[in-house]
Amino acid sequence: MSPSAAQPAPDLAPADGVAARARGLTKAYGSGETTVLALDSVDVGIVRGRFTAVMGPSGSGKSTLMHCLAGLDTVSAGQVWLGDTEITGLKERELTRLRRDRIGFMFQSFNLIPTLNALENITLPMDIAGQKPDQKWLDQVIDTLGLRNRLKHRPSQLSGGQQQRVACARALASRPELIFADEPTGNLDSRAGLEVLAFLREAVDSLGQTVVMVTHDPGAAAHSDLVLFLADGRIVDEMGQPTAEAVLERMRLFTGGSPQVSDADAVRGQAGPATEED
Amino acid sequence: MLKATLRSFLAHKGRLLLSALAVVLSVAFVAGSLIFSDTVTRTFDRLFASTSADVTVQPKEDLNASVPTGAVQTVPAALVDRVARVEGVASAHADVGVENITVVDIKNKSVGPTTGAPTIAADWYVTDRSSVELTSGAAPRGAGEAVLDADTADKKGVEIGDTLTVMAQPGSFKVRIVGIATFKTTNPGAALVFLDPEVAAGQLLGSADKATGVSVEAARGVTDAELKRRVAAALGSGPYDVKTADEQAKSAAEQLGGFLDIIKYVMLGFAGIAVLVGVFLIVNTFSMLIAQRTRELGLLRALGADRRQVRRSVLTEAVLLGLVGSTLGLAAGIGLAAGLIRLMSAFGMNLKTTEMAVGWVTPVTAYVVGVGVTFVAAYLPARRAAAVSPMAALADADIAGVGRPLKVRAVVGAVVGALGVAALVGCVTASATASAASLLGLGVVLTLIATVIAGPLLVRPVIRVLGAAFPALFGSIGRMSQRNALRNPRRTGATAAALMVGLALVGGMSVASASMSKSFDQQIDKTLGADFVIQNTNFTPFSQEVTDRVHATGGVGTVVRQRFAPVAVRLPDGRRIETTAAGYDDQVDEVAHVTYAQGDTAAALAGGALGMDVDFAKDHGVRVGSVLPVEFPGDRTLSLKVGALTDQDAAEGFGMQGGLFLGIATVEKYVPGGQDSVLYVNTDPGVNADGLRPRLEKALDPYPQVQVRDQADYKDLVHDQIAVLLYLVYALLGLAIVIAVLGVVNTLALSVVERTREIGLLRAIGLARRQLRRMIRLESVVIAVFGAVLGLALGLVWGVCTQQVLALQGMKALAIPWGTIVAVVVGSAVVGVVAALLPALRASRMNVLAAIAHE
Repeated sequence: MSPSAAQPAPDLAPADGVAARARGLTKAYGSGETTVLALDSVDVGIVRGRFTAVMGPSGSGKSTLMHCLAGLDTVSAGQVWLGDTEITGLKERELTRLRRDRIGFMFQSFNLIPTLNALENITLPMDIAGQKPDQKWLDQVIDTLGLRNRLKHRPSQLSGGQQQRVACARALASRPELIFADEPTGNLDSRAGLEVLAFLREAVDSLGQTVVMVTHDPGAAAHSDLVLFLADGRIVDEMGQPTAEAVLERMRLFTGGSPQVSDADAVRGQAGPATEED
Repeated sequence: MLKATLRSFLAHKGRLLLSALAVVLSVAFVAGSLIFSDTVTRTFDRLFASTSADVTVQPKEDLNASVPTGAVQTVPAALVDRVARVEGVASAHADVGVENITVVDIKNKSVGPTTGAPTIAADWYVTDRSSVELTSGAAPRGAGEAVLDADTADKKGVEIGDTLTVMAQPGSFKVRIVGIATFKTTNPGAALVFLDPEVAAGQLLGSADKATGVSVEAARGVTDAELKRRVAAALGSGPYDVKTADEQAKSAAEQLGGFLDIIKYVMLGFAGIAVLVGVFLIVNTFSMLIAQRTRELGLLRALGADRRQVRRSVLTEAVLLGLVGSTLGLAAGIGLAAGLIRLMSAFGMNLKTTEMAVGWVTPVTAYVVGVGVTFVAAYLPARRAAAVSPMAALADADIAGVGRPLKVRAVVGAVVGALGVAALVGCVTASATASAASLLGLGVVLTLIATVIAGPLLVRPVIRVLGAAFPALFGSIGRMSQRNALRNPRRTGATAAALMVGLALVGGMSVASASMSKSFDQQIDKTLGADFVIQNTNFTPFSQEVTDRVHATGGVGTVVRQRFAPVAVRLPDGRRIETTAAGYDDQVDEVAHVTYAQGDTAAALAGGALGMDVDFAKDHGVRVGSVLPVEFPGDRTLSLKVGALTDQDAAEGFGMQGGLFLGIATVEKYVPGGQDSVLYVNTDPGVNADGLRPRLEKALDPYPQVQVRDQADYKDLVHDQIAVLLYLVYALLGLAIVIAVLGVVNTLALSVVERTREIGLLRAIGLARRQLRRMIRLESVVIAVFGAVLGLALGLVWGVCTQQVLALQGMKALAIPWGTIVAVVVGSAVVGVVAALLPALRASRMNVLAAIAHE
């Protein structure tokens, strides 16, 4: 089951247009008989300046892939690069700094620090780094996301959609090389979800950012430039210029019916809660 | 339900550990003090019971025997013959035993105990009942020989053949040690010198016709009580106390008890602080546990558990905690008692840990305290748990207690606080010491309660100010730690309260003691005119030879002697007051600046006259010229005319009610055989005071117990005495801080757990472990400093009010020890840093992915 990755990973020097890539990326849980492969020798490259969606049923390994690419999780085998930097083998302190300076994050929920207001949340990674935000860029991001008159609000005073927009602004604010969004619309109603997807699209198109989004919603995946399909820890397919219908159709192929029902549930049960979205 | 309770108790055992520690500490101190005092009481009861004669006859004890007169109450030696003739008496012995001596070795070093226990010289009279037996050498024969107890001989390196000097009231004499006697029972820590009975009375009491008492042994078949009745009947109405062995043992034990009670009360003070601070810790732990389990409790309620069941479940957990804590505390208490017994041994009181007495009262008290405290502390949180709605299981409801308005607290806190402030204002404006002191006590308790209640309300304003610089200094990390401390004011308030209580005590005590020191300094400057003050290190009287030597020293001018006498005075208002009077030489004005309201020194010290404090005189209707009957020891009463009234700031010292003073000749006459307690020495005009000091010290070289002090030394002495009190308070504070640190650790640990996802998020977006640790540390520091600021503010108010009460006693100076206060604030920040160590480590070790996924 040879994967046809988005960009076949070049052998040595990273291609100019690749924001992140992995080669032979393997993530195993447990040992011996009970070993479960969450990622099975994945080769993948994330093209700079594009909106890539990672699709797959629960337990397919899509969140694990994101965590490994983002330096949140260790790998069992293989290599991962962010730009020119090989991040596999980096020390914990270097990984933390890498996440802080070069990667933006959006999670499904609980994206914001409740004690800080919207603006403080947005500039948090730069504050932690002790850097001054680029005010012009910051203004542009805030205006793009329509947060100008919400900056002094605390998260508890914002709606779910507004909170995700703040999270999106935070991910963009330090102008990272790569933004990872893990089910960013999972907790939102459809209108707010569409809004957030439109902003991510805008971030790529107008602001020139690179976004990787993990989702199991074909409608969300349809906003991307390229969809990678994961199943049983491998990239099994990809689709450029996706539409919701085409993605849904493709998902059916893998799962033999419903895109929501996973044949990998057994895997999920053993893989441990840390690696899989709920 | 019980099963669920047990499960939950075990599941949270880590969290309960710190609370259990607080229970263990309080119970350990309670149990330790009980076991220790039981052991000591039993040991000495046994000692005195086994060494007391069947019946003893002693001089009648009418007035306060602890006044340091230097005189020994005696009975005529001939009394022995009268007693021996009583029917049923097998034998009677004239005892000689005195404590008003000092014994030094050949290098002029004291061989007495350094612990305040007495040095006793007695006649060598060995019976089955003696507490000692001769273990080497021979019994003393004739003047110039003595037997020393083995413990003292060991400690001071005295051997058979060595020569010691005994300074007794009649005069000093040298003895050669011919034998060593070893205690058969527990040695209470005293040094014992035994002399030949033939010469003991003469050497120690100044006359062979005197004795300090008579020991009587009953003939077979005569009970102690019967014998006592017969002896008493034979002696008629003479000034004697006749006691059976039981009574004698009891009164001897009571005398010792005073000293042991101090240890007991100190220990109970520690226990009290531990209980008080522990309550905060337990309340907080249970509140937090319940907050954490809101959904679980909601589920129980949804499944049909009623409120009472939920409440009972929480209280059952508390009782379990109390039982475990009490059991461990009891064990720790036994260890503590063993440690104290060892410590006592180091001080010369040879108790045995193997004879430890654990009465049934000890475990009962331990469990009552331990379980009671946890139960009471957990009651409010349990009620709150019962109030959790079943909806909490379904909705992502607010954590119990966080969002509840603080209105009730505000109202109750304000009312109690207003009452407390009113009491304090009352105490400041009161003019009578007694009512001022009780108002002060009331005010202290009420303001403390008010601050504890209103603490959470003060969290926001105070921490906003305290942490204002944090964002500027530490950026986002500082901002987050400040706001984290503000997140749950109730919890922050309760955590800080534990620290607050201890620091409020310290604040108050340090202001009071600094003010006392300053006042005494001012008084010494104002009233003490003498160049030197000569007295014993332990303030007991010294022998006449010291006075003679001082007089004989070249360059000495005026010497004024001071002696004390226990007296009872009948006042015109009908009251009889027992107090201590001081006798002085006539030249008092040369060594002291006394202010008189009426009369002068000459009128007060004249024969047949006395002086007293003007306020005391007014209170009791005494005027200059009033004639008052004054009782002296041994039923000697005479009428003295009030010659002068003094108007001093602090005329009434400890046990010196009325500030009575009179001519030393009167004291010499009515307290025969007394000794001088203090000498006030002036330099002869034309002689340099600095030059006199070495000469005085040289002259007093053979008397190592006597100290020469100039005014600066005298101030230091007073400061040292006040400092002892302060050290005790500091020790109490240390304990309070230990428990408070546990509380802060507890709170932070729980906050870290509660904020797992937040921490995961922060770590994911690039917060370094070091930064995370700093964030938690800063939060901890803010909480600790908050507690310190609140406590010190309260303590300062208490201290100033205490000083106002002391001012009524003449201590008019107010001093605020800013150095101590700054040190305490800095110290509390350190406490915060220490308390944050473990929780911060734990947070920084969290797995980022697990933390993000945490529910």
